[in-house]
Amino acid sequence: MSASSFLGLLVNNPAVILMVGALMCIATPRHLASLIMLAATALSATKLYSMGLGEYGTIMVFGETLTTVRIDALSRLFVIVFHIAIALNIIYAWGGRDRAQNFATLGYPAAAVGGVLAGDYITLFIWWEIAAITSVFLVWAPGTRATYVAGMRYLAIQVLSGVLLLGGIVLIFRETGSLEFNLIGLRDADGAIKFSALVIFLAFGIKSAFPLLHNWVQDAYPKSTISGTIILSVFTTKLAVYSLARGFAGTTELIYIGAVMTIFPIFFALIENDLRKVLTYSINNQVGFMVVGIGIGTAGALNGAVGYAFCNIIFESLLFMSIGAAMFRTGTSKATELGGLYRTMPITMMFCLVGALSISAFPFFAGFVTKGLIVDGAAEAHMFWIWLTLLFASAGVLEHAGIKIPYFTFFAHDSGKRPKEAPLGMLIAMGISAVLSIGIGIYPEPLYALLPHQEQIADYKPYTAYHIIEQLQLLLWAVLAFAVLILIKWYPPEVPSVNLDTDWFYRVPGRGLVLWAAGASRATWNATWRVLSDQIQNVMGRIYAVHGPEGQLARSWPIGFMALWTSVVLALVLILSFLA
Amino acid sequence: MSLSAQLPVLPIVIPLLMAPITLLLPKGRAPWAWAVLCSWLAFAASVAIINNVYEFGVISYHLGDWAPPLGIEYRIDLMNALVLVLVSGIAAVVFPFAYESVKSEIDERQSPYFYGALLICMVGLLGVTITGDAFNIFVFLEISSLSAYALISMGGRRDRRALTSAFNYLIMGTIGASFFVIGVGLLYQATGTLNMADLHAKLAGQDNRVVQSGFAFIVVGIGLKLAMFPLHLWLPNAYTYAPSAVTAFMAATATKVAVYVLIRFFYTVFGFDFAFEVAAFTYVILPLGIAGMFIASLVAVFQEDVKRMLAYSSVAQIGYMLLGLSFATTAGLTAALVHMFNHALMKGALFMAVACVVLRTGSHSCHAFAGLAKRMPYTTWAFVLSGLSLIGVPLTVGFVSKWYLLQASFAAGHWYAGFLIVLSSLIAVVYVGRIAELMILREPDPDGPYALARKEAPLSMLIPMWVLVIANVYFGIRTELTGGVAERAATALMTMASGGAQ
Repeated sequence: MSASSFLGLLVNNPAVILMVGALMCIATPRHLASLIMLAATALSATKLYSMGLGEYGTIMVFGETLTTVRIDALSRLFVIVFHIAIALNIIYAWGGRDRAQNFATLGYPAAAVGGVLAGDYITLFIWWEIAAITSVFLVWAPGTRATYVAGMRYLAIQVLSGVLLLGGIVLIFRETGSLEFNLIGLRDADGAIKFSALVIFLAFGIKSAFPLLHNWVQDAYPKSTISGTIILSVFTTKLAVYSLARGFAGTTELIYIGAVMTIFPIFFALIENDLRKVLTYSINNQVGFMVVGIGIGTAGALNGAVGYAFCNIIFESLLFMSIGAAMFRTGTSKATELGGLYRTMPITMMFCLVGALSISAFPFFAGFVTKGLIVDGAAEAHMFWIWLTLLFASAGVLEHAGIKIPYFTFFAHDSGKRPKEAPLGMLIAMGISAVLSIGIGIYPEPLYALLPHQEQIADYKPYTAYHIIEQLQLLLWAVLAFAVLILIKWYPPEVPSVNLDTDWFYRVPGRGLVLWAAGASRATWNATWRVLSDQIQNVMGRIYAVHGPEGQLARSWPIGFMALWTSVVLALVLILSFLA
Repeated sequence: MSLSAQLPVLPIVIPLLMAPITLLLPKGRAPWAWAVLCSWLAFAASVAIINNVYEFGVISYHLGDWAPPLGIEYRIDLMNALVLVLVSGIAAVVFPFAYESVKSEIDERQSPYFYGALLICMVGLLGVTITGDAFNIFVFLEISSLSAYALISMGGRRDRRALTSAFNYLIMGTIGASFFVIGVGLLYQATGTLNMADLHAKLAGQDNRVVQSGFAFIVVGIGLKLAMFPLHLWLPNAYTYAPSAVTAFMAATATKVAVYVLIRFFYTVFGFDFAFEVAAFTYVILPLGIAGMFIASLVAVFQEDVKRMLAYSSVAQIGYMLLGLSFATTAGLTAALVHMFNHALMKGALFMAVACVVLRTGSHSCHAFAGLAKRMPYTTWAFVLSGLSLIGVPLTVGFVSKWYLLQASFAAGHWYAGFLIVLSSLIAVVYVGRIAELMILREPDPDGPYALARKEAPLSMLIPMWVLVIANVYFGIRTELTGGVAERAATALMTMASGGAQ
């Protein structure tokens, strides 16, 4: 490969264009940087558009062909929405970020774009790790001790996922001799679980926050800056969703994992006081829907899963943005300290409502036109319990994201705060997201045209009487439940979640059970961690005793000792040679 | 008789004749310039040789027109051509680099002797590589070692401990060389020849006590020279207290040449027909390689002295090479050769960065590295980049090495070795990361001796250092250069070792 073709390889990769833009931002003042970022995004989008479907940038490394850019229906959908999200985020905090954040705001999505476009495992792995490393700057951005530590934990988990991925890649390469990233499938023809696939499955699972592997989301995301959290919420989990859709479509295990994912965050979200944290639980729940769709794996369900990912990125960002705007003006995102903001932030409130209606899948909003595909998929595959779970989870979404977020921020008890309306940049970004959310809801055909399985979507009609009635029934009952709970004061009130009222504990056993489970797992974890860290310290102490500067293995030994070793090794080799 | 017909002898004859002249030159810049010129000539000749070998195959040059096996033969195949380029290339980069560093560390009156010894050391290493005669290897090994002892002891002006380290190295090196020559003597007794190609032919079928003892002595003798764990005890002190430029040169070349000799004896002189060789692979080279990978890496983690840390890391890296060659497969041998080449690039660059730091701060303790990113940014980034290469981050040569090694270990069925390689790389993350963190994130104690003003190393040091750093990336991307040559060389060696003719 000549130098010029290598250069061509770089120029023809949208992710590299974005990354170059990100690097340029490090050395430019903040307003100029925002401009550069927007220009890089536009350039990358044009590049993508002009390239069209196909495979580009193939290189030969170690005798293996690597495809650095693969644009097909699946990856195209994700890159398009990634570009939309990047642009929205740049506008949202126009000129309001420091250099490290500017770099990460573009560099981290660039890595996600690169990962989605990767046609082979090696390219995927490289972008996978770059995404991990660039994103941690967003966690570190507030610059406090707590964020530093959280960032390190985040980085450790992300890098672990990368290491697993690399291990899996090596194993797969040994088995198949190919580095092409295509359908892997968890089981082989006999139905036995493939070890190589399992390792990669775990790597993807960590990034998509499977239950029990999910804690890094709630740990790291809410600690970032206002705009940082929004960016983080979009890319890592969706890159993982893409990878699952590519590698593990139709893997039955995913259905159950996804179903659990849709349910368990709801309880946590209901009792959580920090609204940004509520939204991070909602990321888990939303990704759960996509994972179920991927697991079902029929054309319809897959369409639903990736289409839902597309819409989710837009309305989830919108919710994060509106809470971010409130936080920007009031300095807090805690339900206890917010409330009644509708008086002075009416536009933000409207946008927040659009986001809430979309995530709850109200008809004529973006969530409705794609979520139905997943739920129908479960029904058509005759998975009654899964179908029921998804319906229940949909109601739960309404409770914690659809109602709780706008209600406690803009209505509920009056906090007495009278902040100004959100700044223009934020309003523009939220406005675009809101228009997209409604636009897709009313006119979903352009989105449908992008979905990977065109044969299925061609005759799909989202607005049938059955769909609308089913959904409205569900939503209305959920709203009713919320209203009743609020009226009889059974709904978990906004309290700083550390000071829990004990009588609540007895009055609502379900909630108690949740708390108990949470507490028990926390205690188990703490205990295990204590034992582990003691063990690790022990081991490290012992290693130090032997390997440290004064240890036996690191000392400067007298010459006689060295000679002795020589004779020992000689004796060993001699005996071996004689015996062999 | 044209010059091109004499090409194979040029890398030896030129420096061998030029080295004594160094002693006659006036003190100061002249000996250095002479040595640089000499190293460049040797490098040019080596590049011409590898081109020649690559196109036309093995070169056999008969010294003084005495036909082998009686006469001494220079026999150059792709493997030793690669090592030749490596040694002379590192010399061509390190020698220009050495001037400022040596000026500050060594008495100027000694400079003719220093550069003379440096040239002799290079000749020795090139001679070991190029020759096809087992006894000739011993002679050149001693030429390079004796001058190396002298070079290391010249560090005594900065730190008197250099003298004891040089003395220890002298004793251990001599034991190693003696073992080697005993082994060669035993083989001579069994076969009546010293030419290695001839040895291979005549050893066939001779599996007796004499040959077995010869094998054991040679393995242990060379094992000492290449610092195979646990025979590495001379190395950390020698590298730590030698003048910085000498460390950079020796770390990148001396042990690599010893690895080459080991491969030569394993794959060319002996072969897989000998049961004892297979046993040595399984029960000595493989376990000691793995032990070195871990133990030396762990020791490196706790070192307070950066040069010492890198020295222990060298022992660990030797472990990777031993691991690769012990698989006895083409892939494993390729990996060992590639890592041999790549490790020279990264360790050369790292020790050069340390030399720059020593020049400006006067110390190679890790405390001297605190906050260097602000005061010596180019040196810092050179260290960090080559450190990343040492860890094995993609787009650097280190990754290429690890990739080949992983491939080879899985292909050879040693899947656990693959995991061990990754695991020990993680230890490298710790010891490189520790220094990188000091350099980039910490500040030196404001009242301490290292709170110095910003002053970067001189250009004469920065340029050669960055040449190596860029080589680290360049060969990390264009892998076909090293990987391709190594693979061809390995294939040829494997045919020979499995009993085929060369």
